[in-house]
Amino acid sequence: MNKRSKLLCVWIAVSAVILIAGIVLFALFGFNNALDKPASKTVDVTYNVVVELSDEYKNTLSDAGENAFSQNGVAYVEKLELTGQADPSNSSQSDFYENGNVFTVRYVFDSSVSTESLQTAAQSIRDAASGFASGADVDVMVHTLELQDMNASLWRAAVAVAVGAVVALIYVAVRFGIGSALTGLAAAFHDGLLTLAFFAVTRIPVYAFAPYLYAAVAMAASLVLWLVRCMKLRDNAKDPAFSALAAGEAVAEACKATDKTVLILSGTALVILAVCAACMFSGGAAMLLACALVPVAAAMYSSMLFAPALHVHVKGAFDKLKAKRARYSGKKRAAREE
Amino acid sequence: MGKIKSALLLVLYTLLIAFLCFICTVSFNYGENDLHTFSSILDLTAKDADLGGTYGANDTYSGGGYSAVYYPEGVISVSEYEDDLAGISDEKDRTDYQNKYRASENGALYLEVGTACDENGAVLASFTEAFASAVETMTARYEALHADGARVSVRDDYTIEVFLPEMLDGEYYTISHFAYTGELSLTYGTSEDAATDVLKVESKESVSDYVTGVSSRSSGGTHYIELHFTQKGADALAEATEKAGSSSDSSSSSTTNYLYIYVGDTAIISLQVSEALTGNALYISGSYTAETAAATAILLDSAVDGTADDLTFTAGDAYQIPAAYGANALIWLYISFGVLSVAMMLFFFIRYGLLGFVHLYTYLLFTACTILCVWAIPFLYLSVEVYVAFLFTALMLSAGNAVTFEAARKEFALGKTFASSVKTGYKKTFWKLFDAHIVVALFGFIAYFIAFPSLQAAMFVLGLTAVFSGLGVLLFNRFAWAIMTALTKKPGKFCNFKREEVDDE
Repeated sequence: MNKRSKLLCVWIAVSAVILIAGIVLFALFGFNNALDKPASKTVDVTYNVVVELSDEYKNTLSDAGENAFSQNGVAYVEKLELTGQADPSNSSQSDFYENGNVFTVRYVFDSSVSTESLQTAAQSIRDAASGFASGADVDVMVHTLELQDMNASLWRAAVAVAVGAVVALIYVAVRFGIGSALTGLAAAFHDGLLTLAFFAVTRIPVYAFAPYLYAAVAMAASLVLWLVRCMKLRDNAKDPAFSALAAGEAVAEACKATDKTVLILSGTALVILAVCAACMFSGGAAMLLACALVPVAAAMYSSMLFAPALHVHVKGAFDKLKAKRARYSGKKRAAREE
Repeated sequence: MGKIKSALLLVLYTLLIAFLCFICTVSFNYGENDLHTFSSILDLTAKDADLGGTYGANDTYSGGGYSAVYYPEGVISVSEYEDDLAGISDEKDRTDYQNKYRASENGALYLEVGTACDENGAVLASFTEAFASAVETMTARYEALHADGARVSVRDDYTIEVFLPEMLDGEYYTISHFAYTGELSLTYGTSEDAATDVLKVESKESVSDYVTGVSSRSSGGTHYIELHFTQKGADALAEATEKAGSSSDSSSSSTTNYLYIYVGDTAIISLQVSEALTGNALYISGSYTAETAAATAILLDSAVDGTADDLTFTAGDAYQIPAAYGANALIWLYISFGVLSVAMMLFFFIRYGLLGFVHLYTYLLFTACTILCVWAIPFLYLSVEVYVAFLFTALMLSAGNAVTFEAARKEFALGKTFASSVKTGYKKTFWKLFDAHIVVALFGFIAYFIAFPSLQAAMFVLGLTAVFSGLGVLLFNRFAWAIMTALTKKPGKFCNFKREEVDDE
């Protein structure tokens, strides 16, 4: 048995601490879905014009907004340019079309920003806009927004990932034995839950659907990495030189032969995701891809440390059961022969 | 395999891959004054609304989506209030109008006295309760659409802001129809005014005693809505329409009869009836698309539990919202794919020499097939989640190819012939690669059947591309390897394989 396999208690303790902390924090606060902006405030600067507004005026208005916010000590998290939409021109159409004369610059603020500050800033923008000879009808409004939860798709996602893993592991049980499937199941659920717990504990801002995507990535990666171990274990079991080894030694031999493959696969996956996140520079997509490093790292941790250590015990128990059954059937055969 | 046959197959295979790559990725204008456009499959593929980037045949689509605000009865925006007030010249009327409304607490809305607030501007408890119920109904409707990115927010405490991604066929249809509230009712007659109630719901009953639910279905390219009735509802409908089409029906002799389906006071569907409607289900087709049929069914289904006291809403303030991931997210996604592909190919060419072409062909075929499927399968679209799933299986494909190449390399190093090395290499790795791909495909497809967007699309792509990757590694890669090495005199050198050197002591 190698050193890391002897440390199952340590790996269980590490995982248990993260999982318990994650469950408690999830129950109390849920995930930090800040990227979805569950609660926010906006300042909408809408200008209604007959002819197109000049860039110069747009810039002046934009500067007025920036000045008003900085003077009131508030900073927006996002600035969006919205174009007004009109109803379809006839009943057979089902899409909006641009009305061409209503534009809105929306400044999005965190919900913690005081409404009074925003109202004051909005008044400053109104005053500034009224001083321009623009011909545009400028309207500045402060709004508060509270996003409504849509939980059905989230729990369905969680169930989907769990059922997918169970079915995949039934195949593993058929091909590699129930012991391997049980360890794989434990590792896959461990990785999925560890990933969810990580996001619950660290409060990293994510989109509402993202934790379940990450759980799916963790489980898929865990399945593939565990399969690599299973394949070697099966190959070794067929080899007379290894088949007589005790569970701990058999797992250690398999790990020794497959560590490089597991590290290369998980390392490559990490590099791929890091490159993708770097290519997206910033914004939601970069965050989404960067956070996907977590499930791959969780799968890497489990396939290197947790799953082999657990499998020593699972394989040991199944080997004992197998030996007992062999003795029982041997006795039965002997009795029959007598 | 003979050289001529191999050369011929290689040319055909190369042409096929070149053709697939061309139609999948290259867009251009042609004809006089570039009037016509050839759009690549990648251009035509549906994309997640969160991914910004100008693309499409006319560079018209840029991601994002549409938002609109639902104003409940008794609530108007400040601009509407000011516009209305500016249009009233008579001083008395102005005062009456001003007395009719009170500004809301945050000043963003005006509330009508008696409907939404009292004389002092305090919001009525009944209004708050009705509004909360309406928010719940609206949220359930938008959630039932299963549209990736659909959102419902409460704005300024007493209005509802909704958002739909620009991925649907009829955002306006959905947004405008979902504004209707109230209970479901059916009337039958020659016109809306003359029609009489079909269900005749008594005071102790509700619509759900007559209608169990409404759903949408598609069959043979036709999309329709299905109303499911209880026996009581089916009897009431049959009784109301029993004389339809018969000469004994005094009205039908000269005019046509209609069945009107209402939500609140709005007729959503008017159905021409030419014969008695019997049975527990009513199928309504028309000019529906899959999405408009689904939206109508969701609306009618939620109206089964509606009441006559529901708040009525008016949709207004519609805007196009830019893509959440930024204006160029799609371009950066393509660039990241390019960077990763180049890095991967460099590894294969450096380690395996010209054998890298074998992997390149398989990889290009795999990518082109994935693009074609994402374009052709209606519920699939390109998103970051789908891209992650694709990368996962692209890594499996590359790792699978590397594993087979390494297995053959080991055999070749031991002194076997090239053909025998390849054969043994594949024999040793076949079931391992088969198992790995089957497990991932099972995981993807099972999760797809249960999940909703956006995970659903990603899981389907994971399952599908795992199948493609499996076929690529175990079938197409070997085929390309066979035809390419048949053309060279030194296949070992072609593959950068070396014999193991044995020291003679």
